[in-house]
Amino acid sequence: MQPNPEDWLDRQLRDVAPYIEDAGFTQRVLRQLPARRQRSSVARPFILIGMSVLASVLAYFLSDGGRFLIVEMTRLSALPVVWLFALVIGSGVLLMTGGLAAAAMSKTIRIEP
Amino acid sequence: MELTDADLIARILVDDDQHAFGELVRRHQSPVRGLLRQLTRTDTALADDLAQETFIRAYKNIRSFRGEARFSTWLYRIAYNCFREDARRRKELVGIDEAQWQAEVDPRPVDAGLRHDLMNALSQLPLHERSAVILCCQNGLSHDEAARVLDIPLGTVKTNVLRGREKLKKMLRAWGSE
Repeated sequence: MQPNPEDWLDRQLRDVAPYIEDAGFTQRVLRQLPARRQRSSVARPFILIGMSVLASVLAYFLSDGGRFLIVEMTRLSALPVVWLFALVIGSGVLLMTGGLAAAAMSKTIRIEP
Repeated sequence: MELTDADLIARILVDDDQHAFGELVRRHQSPVRGLLRQLTRTDTALADDLAQETFIRAYKNIRSFRGEARFSTWLYRIAYNCFREDARRRKELVGIDEAQWQAEVDPRPVDAGLRHDLMNALSQLPLHERSAVILCCQNGLSHDEAARVLDIPLGTVKTNVLRGREKLKKMLRAWGSE
């Protein structure tokens, strides 16, 4: 059972609760808030670049001085032009999809209304 | 277009945006302070201190807000907990007979104004009935929302509202239903 909005008592109760002016209340609250968190996003790119460089160096040494690169380049150059074109387009689409998905995941916060 | 509470909360969660939190405080300060003023029997200084504590706690625990209830309901719950903790510290709730406490309340001078009489009548209600009446009848919460705020069963809220209203009507009988 909900309170009847037309009830005399309810009406009076609402009337005795007027709007309270802010009068600096919000500023007082904001002054007492804890300091903002250190943004981890500043360090994030450096960590990612560092990890990428480390992984590349490891891959170079573990693959016999990057010999696999020369082999793969030779194989690629032997491919027909259409295949090469398809490969480039496919890689681009894959990269773009991954980037968009990562951006969406980092910004989406699930809050139900 | 004005941002919704959910938009502002998202900004706080993603960017730790204190300006967004300030907007939330501006929106909700009046009802929260009003509720606490009623609960503290119009001790405005204490009520405002508790309201500040309420918003600071809300900021610190904003990640625990899951959006299952309205943000205002969540705030009321924090405010009510702040009030209860403070009351316990002041030994108002623990080990005190409510009837005895009421007898110790200073008798207020009779005022011709209905507002004064209503506030006086409200302050004479036991805490459990006063809280339920304030939340449901004054702040417009549903019984279900009030049950969440007060952390008591739905049936108890309904009973407390009913009894509180009956007592208020009895105390304000002289004013009738003009």
